[in-house]
Amino acid sequence: MAGSELSQAVEQMAAPAGATQSGNALLRSLIGGLVTALPVLVIGLLVLNFAPTYYTFLALGAFVNLIVVVGLQVFMGNSNIANLGHSAFVGLGAYGVAILSTPLAMKKLSIPNAPFGFATLELDPVSAALIALLVVGIVALVSGKVISRLSGVAATIVSLALLIIVHSVFLNWTDLFKGNQAFFGIPKVVGLPWMLVFAVLAIVAARLFKDSRWGLQLRASAQSPQAAAALGIDAKKLRLMSWVLSALICGLAGVLYAYFAGTISPKLFYFQMIFNTLAMLILGGMATVTGAVTGVIVLSIGLEFIRSIESGVSVAGIQMPQLLGLSGVALGVVIVLCMAFRPSGISGRHELDELVSLLFRRNAR
Amino acid sequence: MDYALQQLLNALAFGAEYSLVALGLAVVFSIMGLVNFAHGEIIGVSAYSVFLAAALGLTSPFVAVLLAVGMAALAAVVFERVAFRPVRYAPTTTGLLTAFGVSIVVQNLFMLLISPKPQSVSVLNGLNQMWFFGPFAVSSLQVMELIVSGLTILALVLFLNRSTLGLAIRAASRDFATVRLMGIKANRVIATAFAISGALAGIAAVFILARRGSVSPDLGFGLVLKAFVACVIGGFGSLPGAAVGGMLLGFIEVGLLVALPQEYAGFRDALTYAIIVALLVYRPEGLLGQRVELGDKEI
Repeated sequence: MAGSELSQAVEQMAAPAGATQSGNALLRSLIGGLVTALPVLVIGLLVLNFAPTYYTFLALGAFVNLIVVVGLQVFMGNSNIANLGHSAFVGLGAYGVAILSTPLAMKKLSIPNAPFGFATLELDPVSAALIALLVVGIVALVSGKVISRLSGVAATIVSLALLIIVHSVFLNWTDLFKGNQAFFGIPKVVGLPWMLVFAVLAIVAARLFKDSRWGLQLRASAQSPQAAAALGIDAKKLRLMSWVLSALICGLAGVLYAYFAGTISPKLFYFQMIFNTLAMLILGGMATVTGAVTGVIVLSIGLEFIRSIESGVSVAGIQMPQLLGLSGVALGVVIVLCMAFRPSGISGRHELDELVSLLFRRNAR
Repeated sequence: MDYALQQLLNALAFGAEYSLVALGLAVVFSIMGLVNFAHGEIIGVSAYSVFLAAALGLTSPFVAVLLAVGMAALAAVVFERVAFRPVRYAPTTTGLLTAFGVSIVVQNLFMLLISPKPQSVSVLNGLNQMWFFGPFAVSSLQVMELIVSGLTILALVLFLNRSTLGLAIRAASRDFATVRLMGIKANRVIATAFAISGALAGIAAVFILARRGSVSPDLGFGLVLKAFVACVIGGFGSLPGAAVGGMLLGFIEVGLLVALPQEYAGFRDALTYAIIVALLVYRPEGLLGQRVELGDKEI
């Protein structure tokens, strides 16, 4: 499997797949995506049926992170370019629905002076979400045009610049975004079941893209730009495509976050989110969608544990002091150790379904 | 006229500071392809050691300056030894993410071990005075910043051009394997590059401390983001590019400061970055960067 994307791409381009063959491939990757989503589904259903409210709330947050990390994987995993700006799209999605769907009575309190008639506009949650995603898509298309032209390092820096631009607009355009204050009163229309549905959809979409002709070609060009270009692969177009898809998935996560939390503020969508989600993706392994899922599950549980220590626990009757920054240290250490000792993360290069089928084949022998 | 001169000096001083930090990034990147996100935390270590020394009673500005530069160089070398050596031969993305991780760890350690809140440091405040030249009043700090940055860059150029180690560093940025074949130790070249990069960061830290009079965990992070942008406009890995990019960034920022009405002042950062991204549309490889065919190291 390792190092074979290029030869796979060659095979695929040399022999145009027949309709049945590509149908089979599609089916296999669809099933693969569903298998990858299975652990998520199981955890989600367990929480839904058995967990107390507090844990449901935690799980909702973790699912938002899951969708963000899956979105991040779509770009980073396939193009192998670090993206440090994806939480800008999460923020855009969240603020998009906040501005469009917050009830008028609430808007009078929070953004009475909003420009373009937004102060007197109240859409139903679904159309608000669609318009918010459209805005995310447009911003992604414009920024992607720049980013897809740049070399790896410059692209990363520009993705950071995008994050800072978006954050600074959130903070300073107070008439529309309420600035530093929390934006409240967003209708809480999303519960765990919907979150679960969208998480599964995001995982399947990421997997379908990865296994598609475009995903394969993009991975090939990340491995050897010159060889891929010689085959006629248009890496810029493919990077743009994965950037926009990645942004849309992140935007969706933002929309869902706003609809379950009801309150958002700019600092939620800044470096803290980048740190968290990036560490999750790296720990799990960014080459695969399975890696994204694994990283989120492991690190969400780990971080919750660390946060409980961070806020000061009492061990054997002795009250420990608050240890602010402990979770940050842990996140950073996870990233550094992973990069040094296992750059491919926990899950390595294989998707869950590929691992399962490998295991069965070995047993059959 | 007075106002225009004042703003020109502002732009030059900002630009000099960005250039110093950007040069530090470029020195390391040109040799080992490491995008050092932890550079800001080198500035942080330097500033916090001045803070700690002051808390222990060392309040001489001269000692503080030496300590800042020395600790920064030391921190850079230690970061390399501990975190970056294991990923030295890994792809650029791996190094970048490692550095990002180091940056998170160190920032949070400041928070954990010292305080999440800004701490006041007054040792270097004496550097920041008003000097009067006839009708003009200028900030001593800005003049010093300009002169010191100029001298530092001159010293760097002399070192890179006139010493064996400097020559090795320049050669290593072209073809590291051959440099090693010539019997030069890779570890020595890389440690020197990190020490230089750290010392440049330490000098920047002195000016930051003198201007702000306080330290906080994210002290260097924002500055380094700007320095990265400076590197990108100059052409990543090019030393003259980093210096030019830093200056350009200083001029864009001060230009916007002058041009923007007060109520839009908050958008200055957003606009600065937007202008730079727009520049990159026309020159994706940066102003002084050259288009490098991948897999073909010799330019």
